Amino acid sequence: MPADSKTAQPELRRSVTPWGSFSWGYSDVGADIFVGLGLVLAWAAGASNVAFLFAGVVYVCIGLAYTELAATYPVAGGGQYFVMRGLGDIFGFIAGWAVLLDFTIDVTLFAWTSVDYSSQLLPALVNSVHPWLHFGVVLGLVVGLCLLNVIGVRESTTFNGVVSALDVISETCILCFGFLFAFRPQLLIHTMQTHWPSPYELMLGTSLAIISFVGLESISQAAQETQRPASIIPRTSVSLILTILIFALAYSNLALGFQPWHPITDAAGHHLQFWQIFPNNPDNQGKAVALLAAQVPYYGAFAALYVPVLGAILLLISSNSGVFGSSRIAYAMSTSNLLPSIFQRVHRKFRTPMISIVFFSVIAVIELVFAAAPALFPAVSSLYTRFFHGENGLGFLADLYAFGAATSYSFVFLGLIGLRLTDPLSPRKFKIPLNVPMRFRGEQVEFPIVAVIGFIGIFSILMFTLFTHPLGRIFGPSWLLLGLLFYLVYRRYRRLPVLGSQPRNWRTAQTEILRRAGELELMDEYVANLKASDARRAGQGT
Amino acid sequence: MSSQVHVTLAGALIALLIAGLVGATLWWMLHPPESYVQRIAAAAERNLERIVGSLIVAFSPEIDSAHMMALAAKLARGERSELLALYVIEVPYTLPPDAEMTLEERAALDALGAAETIANKNNVVIRTETIKARSTKQAVLDVAKREKADLIILGSYREGKYSGAPLGRVIDEIAADAKCDVLIGVEGKHGTLLIDESAQSNSQQA
Repeated sequence: MPADSKTAQPELRRSVTPWGSFSWGYSDVGADIFVGLGLVLAWAAGASNVAFLFAGVVYVCIGLAYTELAATYPVAGGGQYFVMRGLGDIFGFIAGWAVLLDFTIDVTLFAWTSVDYSSQLLPALVNSVHPWLHFGVVLGLVVGLCLLNVIGVRESTTFNGVVSALDVISETCILCFGFLFAFRPQLLIHTMQTHWPSPYELMLGTSLAIISFVGLESISQAAQETQRPASIIPRTSVSLILTILIFALAYSNLALGFQPWHPITDAAGHHLQFWQIFPNNPDNQGKAVALLAAQVPYYGAFAALYVPVLGAILLLISSNSGVFGSSRIAYAMSTSNLLPSIFQRVHRKFRTPMISIVFFSVIAVIELVFAAAPALFPAVSSLYTRFFHGENGLGFLADLYAFGAATSYSFVFLGLIGLRLTDPLSPRKFKIPLNVPMRFRGEQVEFPIVAVIGFIGIFSILMFTLFTHPLGRIFGPSWLLLGLLFYLVYRRYRRLPVLGSQPRNWRTAQTEILRRAGELELMDEYVANLKASDARRAGQGT
Repeated sequence: MSSQVHVTLAGALIALLIAGLVGATLWWMLHPPESYVQRIAAAAERNLERIVGSLIVAFSPEIDSAHMMALAAKLARGERSELLALYVIEVPYTLPPDAEMTLEERAALDALGAAETIANKNNVVIRTETIKARSTKQAVLDVAKREKADLIILGSYREGKYSGAPLGRVIDEIAADAKCDVLIGVEGKHGTLLIDESAQSNSQQA
């Protein structure tokens, strides 16, 4: 009908292929190990591989949960949408607000480490040597990314795909050559036995290890643009989970049992193990993969030249994903009336959500100032030493990153459980394993045991974060409380249910979601399930 | 500084395992099963490959196929088909089989020349042939048999616009008796087959 076609909303073109979907996630999660490895080695020392293993198990549960949810509800909102649908508006807001914290930290943290990786080739950028220059470059990158996003310039999916492919090949080569030529199993065992950390340090290391696995959100955010999302997303998500898990476990084990090509000595001339260059050295913590790659026999001579560049590019892409990711989340939350409609406003000329982009970029800059302050001002440094156990800038950003991720993931697990109970009729092309069949409100449902295990795991990491991160336990909850206060005022002002949820027709919405996704067989199955359920209820009524 | 290299069995096995696992994971990811819709599309594409291996575009005084020639050239380019443009001059029984028919022969040169131009423009190799025959239908079917053609492409009746019998007798008979597929471009009652109306109206306005 012509009249309809004129007024119809333009739909996002489904152009993201399986590799495109993978690279969307990889350009976000793949960069995490570049940041996480050094931090975890610095704190968890001989138990770094155990810290990664624990966080990895939790991450697998998170990944499976996201895979099921994104394949069942292929919409752009991601975690906050699943939680809002499963638990209600207020919890959806908390999950979304925590993700927004992560995205703003993402901008600063990855721009920061991008500069750290660059410093491997440009020593003038080393933070401890020229803190103001380091700060200025990071600030320039954040502002630059903000401007590029405002005027609508973004890296293309092709560029993401190429960088991701190069990085997968590069990391596989580093690990293969590293294990082949420089790995000593006896050294790994010796390091684990002699440098096992204290419980406090292990908790701290584990809470930092989770940051190596943050970013699965990106795949579900691109779900609306992915071809056949219900079929493709499970594959790309599971592949991403496995690839990142393999890399994280391999890097941590390699680093502990790594015999560098050339001996490393400290100032007194004593020989050091490779991992010992990280504790108390924030400059090294920010570029761990480049340092390890450079020490791999034979391959290291080549890797030393390109890994810092590749790492810096991948980290910058990840930083950029924070800028546009935060505006996307804010847009989605705004359309669900969780945030004011100002976050939906699009710039007249550039057609981009300028207010969202600038707002969250300003927050990223504020976080950068907090992170850089101890290095820039000695007085602030002594303040940090006195009250926050002397945390450095990178540690501060990592604290908040871990806090935001752990909080949002905790709610995603609860959202998954909620949706399994309240929406059993939606066809799930991918279902996480280990389910207990039961009846709930007259429907046959499957209770997900893995979601409970995952929730316990991620909640314990959240507790580790609050317990071991002096800055994270202040700024993280403060962010949530501030947001919640804002939400309550906004909902009251709009005369919407403050603690409850807006009435929504999820049945119509789900049919429309599947239709738009091109998952016509699933749409038919869903409609058939609805009819069967209605007939069953009508039969019970009579 | 001395260089140190340590190759161990465990290290080599782990290296192999990593390469294998990463490779296998990505291969699995990039080969998802086809959906029902994709299977239908794939079957249709396979059919297309089968039916467009060898194309004949038939012309005659009764069959105007110029517009279909353009379509055939694009199809042949995409599918790398063999293309033959055939012009059939029907010789009435009142004349000997090799009678000179100047006007018809001149029309054949024009039609096949235009066909060659279209093919060249689309970078497609084309063969052209003019045949004199008692029956256009039989000539087209004989050539199709000789060439093992997969598809005969025909335009509409020379009168062009809808006049009650859009196909004409010859086109009807070819479609009925052909042993391969036949693609016929027929104009609807108000059809504008391959005529750009907007361009026309623009030029009229100008």
